[in-house]
Amino acid sequence: MDDIIIKVTDLVAHYGEFKVLDGVSFEVKRGEIFMIVGGSGCGKSTLLKHLCGLMRPTSGEILYNNTDVAVMDADELAEMQHGIGIAFQSSGLFNSMTVGENVAMPMREYGNVDKVLVDDLVRFKLSLVGLAAAQHLMPGELSGGMRKRAGLARAIALDPELVYFDEPSAGLDPIMAAGLDDMILKLKRMLSTTFVIVTHELDSIRMAADRVLMLDKGEVLFCGTVEETKTSSIERVRQFFERRPDEFITQGNLS
Amino acid sequence: MSETRLTAPEQLNNATGAQLYEEAKRAWRAGAATLLLDLAPTRDMDSLGGAWLLKIAGDMRRRDGEFKWEGHQEAIADFMTMLEPALQMKPKKPPKPPGLFDSFTDTLVNFVGEFGEFMGLCVDTLYWTAVAPFEGRGFRFNAFMEEAHEMGVRAVRIVCLMNFLLGLIIAMLSAAQVAAFGMQIYVADLIMIGFARELAAIMTAVVVSARTGAAIAAEIATMKVQEEVDALRGMGINVVQYLVTPKVAALIVVLPCLVTLGLVSGVAGGALWGVLVLGFRPAVWYQQTLGAAYMSDIMQGMLKTFFFAIAIALIGCHNGLRVRGGSRGVGLMTTRAVVMDIFMLICIDIVFAAIFYYWLE
Ligand SMILES: Nc1ncnc2c1ncn2[C@@H]1O[C@H](COP(=O)(O)OP(=O)(O)OP(=O)(O)O)[C@@H](O)[C@H]1O
Ligand SMILES: [Mg+2]
Repeated sequence: MDDIIIKVTDLVAHYGEFKVLDGVSFEVKRGEIFMIVGGSGCGKSTLLKHLCGLMRPTSGEILYNNTDVAVMDADELAEMQHGIGIAFQSSGLFNSMTVGENVAMPMREYGNVDKVLVDDLVRFKLSLVGLAAAQHLMPGELSGGMRKRAGLARAIALDPELVYFDEPSAGLDPIMAAGLDDMILKLKRMLSTTFVIVTHELDSIRMAADRVLMLDKGEVLFCGTVEETKTSSIERVRQFFERRPDEFITQGNLS
Repeated sequence: MSETRLTAPEQLNNATGAQLYEEAKRAWRAGAATLLLDLAPTRDMDSLGGAWLLKIAGDMRRRDGEFKWEGHQEAIADFMTMLEPALQMKPKKPPKPPGLFDSFTDTLVNFVGEFGEFMGLCVDTLYWTAVAPFEGRGFRFNAFMEEAHEMGVRAVRIVCLMNFLLGLIIAMLSAAQVAAFGMQIYVADLIMIGFARELAAIMTAVVVSARTGAAIAAEIATMKVQEEVDALRGMGINVVQYLVTPKVAALIVVLPCLVTLGLVSGVAGGALWGVLVLGFRPAVWYQQTLGAAYMSDIMQGMLKTFFFAIAIALIGCHNGLRVRGGSRGVGLMTTRAVVMDIFMLICIDIVFAAIFYYWLE
């Protein structure tokens, strides 16, 4: 099997007239945890939506297992999307179903899972994210962190080879965030899943990331391992990873 | 108490998991109270295999049996630590829908609770609309104007159209009925009295409750679901003052105006039929209509509209604030608001009819 699961070349994306991504290129290796970082509003969620085929790029190539997502028709796209898992920034759980039914939904809709096993498979996935006791609760009854984990359980419902996860630890306490990172590492090891994760958390990058992509104003600023960030020649990359504020903020002339 | 020992396969996947389940079934058919699974041989495990494992444990515990395991290898240690709580626990049953008797008492309790909430909202609204502004505690005049524009000005077209068409239909219907007696001119009286007393008010209120009542409920319910209402509370802003008062006040001002326009358009609809089809001269029809226009009828029709306005706005807000869950809750509450609105309109109308046609005769 090929070593590279996603290969993006010269991706350009617009919202109307507004250019969000400007010539983004990178590769994701099979079985790694690939993290996308960058300032708020720099286009990370947009990039993720392009990767999973929810949006069409203006130009450029997105190869997933050597087929171009950008030119797939609706059926091929659906086929591809059945093979990946997506956990959205705001969890995207269906509010009218219990947590268990949310996880069971993809299994019932297109999963080919034996009917007698669905309930147990749901409990298996929920235990993997530590929510075994929450099977019959409604999403509205969960805390923010539990909702994130339930979203992840739904994303991994069918053992996808690739999981997209938008800001898993945003809004979680440090312990819970660390727990989530730990869980993602375990899942990667146990199910040999590739994770593409958008995040702001330096700690989770240090703890879990194999490689990091840094976006800035729609362009790739840096792509490499966590070690390489420390010796990067680009000032802004080191600034981001060393958590130094911008000059003008330290000078206090915000007004 | 018998204990049965099973040995797990080397690879725990769908096929071997199903096999293991069969073995477990045989064991508990033979009366085993405890299953002991020897996991030592297992080197690898996938999701479906794990699901079968949970199924065995779950079915065992549902039978009040015991499930234990021992000696797993390092390779599946992660799995076993994560699965442990689920393996130790009896699977929960989904909550049952309530039985007949439960549901009756529940309904009663819910109704009383909801009625209390509604009364609370009424009192709060009364205070914040009629008392607080005069104590200098503020009234959101800009919001009031915006709401009045949205609920009133933008509803003019649909209200006029509906009343106009209703006037036309009633003229057609009644003219055909009285044609044999040559009393078609009295259709003008019928339309004038009918619209002044009942039809303009009811028709307009129904249109407004479908339009504005639903919008109020949906807006407030969405705000509640997205924690905007909590955000307001957290800023120390009174929700009733901020959200409910401008809407109630706007509708109280706007609905009588709309009903007046509705009355005029209804009468115009009737006149169109009378003049164009029944062939009366406009002046004749006009005189006949004026002769049937009593101030007391019009006032009686107008008086109702204030109560209609209060009912529509408060029911919308009440249902919006009671929303549970997410998007589905918003839909349910919007539907509920419109249904309750129309029911309340009829109730108010009956009370008024009783008062004016019997007690005050
Ligand atoms: N639906 C949309 N229509 C128009 N512009 C949009 C839309 N969604 C996002 N944008 C713009 O695109 C840019 C990138 O948005 P995106 O959501 O990808 O940011 P992000 O990197 O995920 O930020 P964050 O870390 O805050 O989630 C932003 O400037 C935003 O204003
Ligand atoms: Mg985002």
